[in-house]
Amino acid sequence: MNTNLKILNVTKIYPGCIANDSVSLEFESGKIYALLGENGAGKSTLVKILSGVIMPDEGEIFLNKNILKLNSPLDAKKNDIGMVFQHFNLFETLSVFENLIIDSDETKENLREKIKLTMKKYNFSINLDIPVLNLSAGQKQKVEIIRCLIRNPKVLIMDEPTSVLTEQETSELFLSLKKFSEEGILIIYITHKLKEVMQLCDEVAVMRKGKLVSISQIKEENIESLANKMVGQNLKTIKKKKITQSSSDLLIKITDLNFTSEDPFETNLKNINFSLNRGECLGIAGISGNGQSELFQILSGEIISNKSSIEFNKNFIGDLNPQERREYLMAFSPEDRLEQAAIPQMKIFENVALNNFKSSNFFNNGLINENKIKEHSKKIISDFNVNTDNIELKSQFLSGGNLQKLIIGRELITSPDLLICFNPTWGLDVGAINYIHETLIKINEQNKSIILISTDTDELLKLSDKISVIHKGKLSKIMEGDEVTSEKLGMLMGGGEID
Amino acid sequence: MDINFIGLILASIMASAVPLILASCGELITERSGVLNLGVEGMMIIGAISGFALMTVTGNLFIAVIGAMLAGLLISSIFAFLTQTLITNHVATGLALTIFGIGISAMIGKNFVGIPGKEFPVLFDGLKDTIPFLGPILFGHSVVFYFAFALPFLTNFFLKKTKIGLIVRAVGDSPVSASNQGINVKLVRYSCILYGGAMCGLAGAYLSMIYTPQWIENMTGGRGWIALALVVFSTWNPIKILFGAMIFGGLTIIQFHMQAIGVRIPVQFLSALPYIITIIVLVVISRDSRKIRLSTPSSLGKSFYKDN
Repeated sequence: MNTNLKILNVTKIYPGCIANDSVSLEFESGKIYALLGENGAGKSTLVKILSGVIMPDEGEIFLNKNILKLNSPLDAKKNDIGMVFQHFNLFETLSVFENLIIDSDETKENLREKIKLTMKKYNFSINLDIPVLNLSAGQKQKVEIIRCLIRNPKVLIMDEPTSVLTEQETSELFLSLKKFSEEGILIIYITHKLKEVMQLCDEVAVMRKGKLVSISQIKEENIESLANKMVGQNLKTIKKKKITQSSSDLLIKITDLNFTSEDPFETNLKNINFSLNRGECLGIAGISGNGQSELFQILSGEIISNKSSIEFNKNFIGDLNPQERREYLMAFSPEDRLEQAAIPQMKIFENVALNNFKSSNFFNNGLINENKIKEHSKKIISDFNVNTDNIELKSQFLSGGNLQKLIIGRELITSPDLLICFNPTWGLDVGAINYIHETLIKINEQNKSIILISTDTDELLKLSDKISVIHKGKLSKIMEGDEVTSEKLGMLMGGGEID
Repeated sequence: MDINFIGLILASIMASAVPLILASCGELITERSGVLNLGVEGMMIIGAISGFALMTVTGNLFIAVIGAMLAGLLISSIFAFLTQTLITNHVATGLALTIFGIGISAMIGKNFVGIPGKEFPVLFDGLKDTIPFLGPILFGHSVVFYFAFALPFLTNFFLKKTKIGLIVRAVGDSPVSASNQGINVKLVRYSCILYGGAMCGLAGAYLSMIYTPQWIENMTGGRGWIALALVVFSTWNPIKILFGAMIFGGLTIIQFHMQAIGVRIPVQFLSALPYIITIIVLVVISRDSRKIRLSTPSSLGKSFYKDN
């Protein structure tokens, strides 16, 4: 049975922004469609409209020529539209089975039977009786997919599904999606990752600033052409010059670092050893939740460790707090920009002042030296291309990209010897990612070092001179950047071995 | 000491635990849906004066008890409207509710001070002496008493085994996900708040109509706050609430006896003892951080509003 989904002139306006500007699209079952665009292009708004979470201001949706009124997520469900959200819509403290039965009308026994059949058919294996918070991201996503499948959907919408998956999990997902498509489910795949579009989809619609800019067959496109459509300008590709001979000027050395947490939801670190020379970038890959945030906190001094376990510039600094470490010329860019790196309700210049050095003279006898701080903030904004001229703006109103530039700028303006960053481009659009990558490459060229903890394999391969993988709190051996491939990383990230 | 006497002491401990169990189990449902209502003390005292006043005016105990529950429900509906519809802060609104409740109960109660209460009928009174020790514990109590001791088990069953209980837990875990699943978060939260209000009203009525049948200003005496603490320290587990309420009730009775015997410990310290020990015991029995994580409503006290 064929499914035809049609969107006609859908418009959604938020105060100060047109999220969807008269978007029209048509989908047919048997194909996999990509909806491509940068952050803020309006993809998510469109899929929220399709799943009934929000309502359009104007426009209509047709399923098999019948007009659809989607006033709530229930309406979407009733009309066999299934949706897997980017941020999972699961109840973490409930068991997998409870998550699935909550919106089902069937008896426990029937549902359990149905879930088992579905899992068998698509080769999923998940324990139904453990709480969802014990599952990996890939497993959580499978729970979401099962939730859609047991309702026999006609349409399955996937919103940025691979942002939390490993390479292996991604290829498993793609196999499943192709299988669903062959069985007649219409699949709409939302992403900003070009490689995935090329790998998986048949047709691609590109959105930019709320408008639909192109619809085309994948056969007619390549990665560059899609990137240019998505950004609306020609992107220069940046490449890092690989260091041909490694310097022998040791900067930081970690020796036998262990961390045992009392919180069962944190990861223990086991016997971490590595060292890094000046001018090098060490990439640490891994699936999130394998000890990255604990490692970052220990390196930055949020968690104090053994004095002798961290040697930096010939000083033992394992017992110093972040501010003291900054005085030794370390700098940090944490993962969570709005919670850890900056305080959302504080103004830009106030956030700059939080990074206080003895030499910066931000405070005189306990009083705030506002002029000095403002001057300093303006310098950061112009040096690091932060797109605002109002340093009185509360930092929560900066876009992710601008905020990250501000944070990196705040850290780098004192020209530290080592920058430790954790997922610095997470959730940013292509333009901002490019800028951050260029900045990081520049740091290395100035003979400064970087420890880059990231879950983005492409980013790591692009920027790292050396790469290691963290899995369940253990660090793999350090590999040279140019001998590593994403397949190798994927193996190690999943806990496999390579020779 | 006579074994029947110990039975009698145990029965009086259980009686003093009743209002705590009722209010805590009500508040537990409210909190499980993600709403933090600090107005327990206020809702209890409203229940207490409403029950007593209706009993005096109508002379009908049934009407009085139901009326007290409705009064609790009514005052909690103010809280529900403010926090769910007008999206006010849970903590501030709850505190205001308590202050409001204490004030208005004192105002209504002026005409009822010094009036003797009516005797509340007890069940199975004749069976009290048939079994030694267990007799006084099991028999000769009001219907509210039996209901209170069944309530933790009913609450546990409701949360763990029924569909609606599952929906309440889901809303408390993640209102956004629940809403995206098509669950009406506001309706669930409204219902849970009103139910909590009714249970607090009943707890208050038990105090003014059964436990000490009279009206005294401020007669809840901080029991609402203890009920709140019981919910948190029991890690949202109704069975542990039963346990905590018994410890608190027991210590309250025992310290009275100790004061009466004239134990040479400062009275103030003895009076504070139940509060301190109950909290210590509950903290100790609830130390499993994994279980805490699983039973704590993640969205507790956070406002939810749907953007469109």
